[in-house]
Amino acid sequence: MAYFIVQILPYIAVTIFGLGLLFRLVRWAGARLLGTSHEITLAPFPQSPFQAGWVFLREIAFFRNVFFFDPSLWVGAWPMHMALFMVLGGHAVGFYFTGHQFVYIGMSPELSEYMSNLLGSVFGLVLLLGLIYLLVRKVSLVKTRQVSNPSDYLHLIFLIAIVTVGDIMRYFPQYGMHYEEVYEYFKALILLQPVPEFVFHNWFFITHMLLVQCLMIYFPFSKLLHLFGMFAMRWIENRVHIDPEPGLPGVDVAAARARGTGLPSAGGTA
Amino acid sequence: MPEYKGMAQPVKATVEDLKKLRLVPVPDEKKVEEAIRLLDEARKKFRSFVLAMESCVKCGLCAENCHAYLGTRDPHNIPTNRAELIRKVYKRYFTLEGRWFGKLVGAEDLTLDTLEQWYSYFYQCTECRRCGSVCPFGIDTCEVTMIARQILYWLGMVPKLHVGGGWGIERVGNQTNVAKPAIVDTLEFLSEEIKDEFGVDVRFPVDEEADILYVPSSADYMLNPYTLMGAAMFFTYIGAKWTIPSFMSEAGNFGLLFDQRHLMRHLFMRLHDSAVNLGVKKIVWGECGHGWRAWKMYLPYFVDRPLRWEITHLHDEVAYYIRTNQLKLDPTRNSQPVTLHDPCNYVRACSPAGPYGHTENMRTIIRAVTVDFREMYPNREKNFCCGGGSAVLFDDPEMYQKRIQFSQTKADQIRATGVGKDGNGILCAPCSICKAQFYPMVEEHELGVTVHGLIDLVGKALVWK
Amino acid sequence: MASINVNGVEIEIDEDGFIQDPDKWNEDVAKFLAKGEGVEEMGDDHWKVVNYLRDYYLKFQIAPMIRKLCKETGFSLKYIYELFPSGPAKGACKIAGLPKPTGCV
Repeated sequence: MAYFIVQILPYIAVTIFGLGLLFRLVRWAGARLLGTSHEITLAPFPQSPFQAGWVFLREIAFFRNVFFFDPSLWVGAWPMHMALFMVLGGHAVGFYFTGHQFVYIGMSPELSEYMSNLLGSVFGLVLLLGLIYLLVRKVSLVKTRQVSNPSDYLHLIFLIAIVTVGDIMRYFPQYGMHYEEVYEYFKALILLQPVPEFVFHNWFFITHMLLVQCLMIYFPFSKLLHLFGMFAMRWIENRVHIDPEPGLPGVDVAAARARGTGLPSAGGTA
Repeated sequence: MPEYKGMAQPVKATVEDLKKLRLVPVPDEKKVEEAIRLLDEARKKFRSFVLAMESCVKCGLCAENCHAYLGTRDPHNIPTNRAELIRKVYKRYFTLEGRWFGKLVGAEDLTLDTLEQWYSYFYQCTECRRCGSVCPFGIDTCEVTMIARQILYWLGMVPKLHVGGGWGIERVGNQTNVAKPAIVDTLEFLSEEIKDEFGVDVRFPVDEEADILYVPSSADYMLNPYTLMGAAMFFTYIGAKWTIPSFMSEAGNFGLLFDQRHLMRHLFMRLHDSAVNLGVKKIVWGECGHGWRAWKMYLPYFVDRPLRWEITHLHDEVAYYIRTNQLKLDPTRNSQPVTLHDPCNYVRACSPAGPYGHTENMRTIIRAVTVDFREMYPNREKNFCCGGGSAVLFDDPEMYQKRIQFSQTKADQIRATGVGKDGNGILCAPCSICKAQFYPMVEEHELGVTVHGLIDLVGKALVWK
Repeated sequence: MASINVNGVEIEIDEDGFIQDPDKWNEDVAKFLAKGEGVEEMGDDHWKVVNYLRDYYLKFQIAPMIRKLCKETGFSLKYIYELFPSGPAKGACKIAGLPKPTGCV
């Protein structure tokens, strides 16, 4: 079983993840009309690509709409997503550089590893708290209960499970795996070699791997793809649109007023 | 009739009504099959629709940003739930997860009851796009509503009110059914009214060769005399050579609201032909929100020939002449407290950003022609709908009650400005649907305001000598 | 479709009570429809409004602008609402046998 999860399943999961994403995005692209049958540009229309880019940036980086129109959602959603990006990035960078990534900005290897641990701990906790906050919100508000399907709760519960196991490994080193070990494991996976023996003994790691791979398998078929959806939707809606110049043909207001158009003495209209 | 299993519904057009638009309704036993086929067509065609179906995360942010939900507290009036009425069917027939794990993701078979549910709730959406504007992802439920209404129309499920307008468009060129003799008669009457009230000679040229084609909303011929008078006075004041076309006497376009494929295009071609026949150089649009959206954002892609004319909105032109100090205006003639209702289609679908966009132009004008202007909050692109958008102007008792509920948020906003405190306030609502909604609604909510267009106030403030 | 019976003549009406065939209108029909609009007794002023609407409709196939109705009858809008509690468009026009108004009205 453990062998399947850490040695076989990763290839299956990555394949389904990749093909699934492709399938979904091709399907979106296959719907042919975006701004060519009609324009659904949202006003106020950006007047330059720079302004359009600013709309993208403020929504993606700061969740501006959420902040203004549902602040209590922002409190959970924004930190959660930011922590998620940091944690995902941390996984990639931390394991690739085995915790020594900050050496490149002048830290000692020990300090770098300490920083790596610290950032992981902090963002791992923020991520967990954010997810729990969102789940509590979803369950406790009438409006969110009214809009949610069972799968909407399950997504959150599933993410909470992954993060909880991850945080346990982070906070209790005896259950965790060290940077070099993970590095070796992934190196073996990528080079299609048998994975090292020690991973079979860490059940937290195996559980974490299993859950993450399940997520990868269903991710392309779920609403979790909203990151891509956001770009695709805003690409249709937040674009440059310039109005024609005002000013009416054949009109000279000063001359008309001098003639006195409309005044009875002028004998009628223009 | 206007209720189906507890759901309020507008009165449906009959088979005879639909025949006037040469539409044969789909028989009940074939409706479901046909609806799925049309839905399949729509999802292959409109990416905006596919994204609305597939990338909502159900955060619930849209709920309390929708006047329909705020007014009725009906869960199906939450924008994402309104879209869910289609999404559940979409998932069931067009997605893997819906086919395999239907219960889990909320997928459902399409039934006649669901179609009736669509009919009820997609005619409770006013297509105001506030949900699209506030959505973190920009998911535009208005697109979903439009597609739902188009499918329902093809099935033969459409309000009598809308079909009546559609028939008017095909018969005489406007949805109010005002033919040329009545247009000329009304405009001659208004000419006399202007003479009596303002002491100036203003003529309304109809179907004359001119530089400028002015297209007023046809509802103005029934309900909004000052809007027509204001526009005519403005054009006369600046000495423009202008005309009103009788072949295409409609700033609105009900086609946008239920039949974009044929009816909307039909009216577009009437405009094109009028412009050719009258030899105009520029087209100027009157006060109509949904219509302005159709003409501005849809026309270039729908009209059958390349367009040779620029089309601008009257507000943009008036604001330009005010900015360049070419009009002499006396704001004290509109001395009552005024507040401005931003029509959704102007501020969320048609206005460029910046000081010369439509949204700010309306403010340029209102500040120049009134003395006591008070903003309502929220305003501009954050404004709430009047509750009548997309011609949800039904008067059968059930739907009329809904209209009162839909306008509750707006009524609270207007009351908060205090303009109606002494019973002499002006509610400036420069859109025909907003006006038609507000005329009864300011009474229902006892707001102490009278309803006017923006150009009405300009006409009153013009100083002729 | 529903119908009403006035003096033995069947007249079709739509869901909102507007008669379908304006040619079938006569004064008795008007009196009958008036009862449904909260007008118990058609007085001279009622007839003045209804007849004006009727004449205008026969000439132009549409109801007149409300402002014109007020001007030509000499009644204020407020008074017309007193005469016809359901208003000029839905009350008076219905009694005068005009079709139901459409569009943004």
